[in-house]
This record gives sequence, C-alpha cells and structure tokens, in this order.
Amino acid sequence: MSGAKYQVITPPNTLKAKVGASLKLLDGNAVARAEEALAAMSQEFEAWIEDDVGRLTVAWEVYIALTQRTPDDLGGIFSVAHDLKGLGATYNFPLVTRLAGSLCKLIEPDGQRRDAPVTLVGAHVDAIRAAVRDKIKTDSHPVGRVLAEELEARVGALAG
Amino acid sequence: MSGDGFAKLHVMVADDHPHARKILVAILRTIGVRRITEVDDGAHALEAFKFSPADIVFTDLRMAGVDGFELIRFLRDERANDSCYVPIIVVSAQTSLTAINQARNLGATEFIGKPLTATAVIQRLRVCIENPRPFIRSKHFFGPDRRRRNIDTLIEERRAV
Repeated sequence: MSGAKYQVITPPNTLKAKVGASLKLLDGNAVARAEEALAAMSQEFEAWIEDDVGRLTVAWEVYIALTQRTPDDLGGIFSVAHDLKGLGATYNFPLVTRLAGSLCKLIEPDGQRRDAPVTLVGAHVDAIRAAVRDKIKTDSHPVGRVLAEELEARVGALAG
Repeated sequence: MSGDGFAKLHVMVADDHPHARKILVAILRTIGVRRITEVDDGAHALEAFKFSPADIVFTDLRMAGVDGFELIRFLRDERANDSCYVPIIVVSAQTSLTAINQARNLGATEFIGKPLTATAVIQRLRVCIENPRPFIRSKHFFGPDRRRRNIDTLIEERRAV
C-alpha cells in the first residue's frame, strides 16, 4: 500500500487527436495572422472604447447624483473601469489601461474603496475621458504620463 | 491559411463584455476554429456546456451572477460533469496573485491576463493541445497539476498591467 494521498491521472489527449497535423500551424505565422486580424478591427476599436467611456460617464453621473453614497455605490464605476483596464491596450489605448488600473486599485471591493475620495474618483474618470477624447493613447505623451503618475501617486499615498 | 484540424474544435468563450468576446473570437477564427459558442455569463456557459460540451473553455472571472470561479468549480466537478478534464483558459483583468491562485486552486488550466494579445492566446492554446498536464485528484483538489506552471510568464504579465 503506497499511502499516497493523491492520484495522478493522465486523461486521453482528445484535443491533439482532433487537431492532428494542424497543430504545426500554431507558429509565429499564426500570431502574425491573428495580429493582422486585430489590426483590421482597429477602426471598430475606436467606437468600442467610446462606448465604454460612455458607460463610465453614465456610471459616474449616477454616482454623483446620489444624495447619500455608500462604498457599494461605486460598483457600477468599478465594473466599467475593470473592463477598460482589460481592454484599453487591446483598443490601442494602453494609457487607458493604466488609468483604469489605477481607478480599479482605488475602488476595488476588497481594497480601500471605503476611503476613496470622490474627487480622486472623479479625477480618474476625467483623465480617462480626456485621453480618449484627445486620442492620447500612450504614456509616452507628456501630459498622459504626468497624469497617470500623479493619479497613481495619490492612490498609492491613500494606501499608505 | 488555417488547419482543418482546428475546424473540428468546439470552443466556448464566456465573457460578459461583448467586445472582449469579439476580440477573442477574431483571434480564434484566424487559426481556423469555426465552432465557437459565445456566452455572456457563467449561467449561460453552464447551460450551453451541459447541452454540448466544448473541447476548450475560455472564461473571464468577473461576470454577473455565476462568475468565472463558479464556472470552473462546476466544470471540474466529476460528479456533475462528464467532461471534467476540459482545458479551462482564464482570460481576466483580475491579475492579482490571489485571483490567479484561486482560479488555479479551483482547477483552471491556464491564465491569460488582460489586455489580451494574440501571442498569449495562441501560446496557451498550443500548451493545452501539445503538452497537457496530468490531473491530480486529492481530497481537496481536482484539476491540472499545479506544480507545473510558468510563473515567469504570469509575473511578467502582471507587471505589464
């Protein structure tokens, strides 16, 4: 009796059986083709990021219109910020990913959301809107870089 | 150029964001995947999977209702799911080590941090097909062996976010 407390299982590789010789096509050329396909979608990306920034604006306006706010009320803003953090760079706006990442850190449910100053939340929303409106896509833009650094520093200071 | 072999694959994409789904689907189509089931939350994913199990599942973690964590939990439930060995590739902007470890401890196969890249998708897909890891069944865990993981890749991706 081995006394092993776990069992190792090697499931049949049904995927390899299905894909067969086509597997060799998953090479550098496949990556290039996929990147080409994404590049072809770049015009759509501009519309899509504007849609998401529109959702962020609505969520922000709903939040500031509340007469009494609780930390949970930031959920709508967090949800869109999380989407923008994940999609900004894919939309060719890495600066938006960075700004939205800072906003997520500020208002994430398990973090410092309770202490998040409304003005700092608003500053992030404004920065994301301005970046998309003025097509400031990366932090190589001096204004974009300073803005991102300032917001991140303020969020960092809040975290202590 | 695409391979006929990929046309035989059935891939599920679960993400509540329609644009995120479109981007992933566009990448998969370039390699020849034709049968793609798109769902916008974990509940629809479960329903669709029970009706027709996919060969590979890509899932976001943060979804309304039944989230990605719950979806992974179900897919790895041997009593509830006959296709419990299905590769599960998590695609999420939740790139904290806590989230990554939680997904792995529930049985996720691979993790891709958003922003999504074609390279990451194709690389993980290749690993799942070419070099699948064995499964471990113990009292508290059922899923791909957690000892083999590319921690450098994960850390690199977290730094990039």
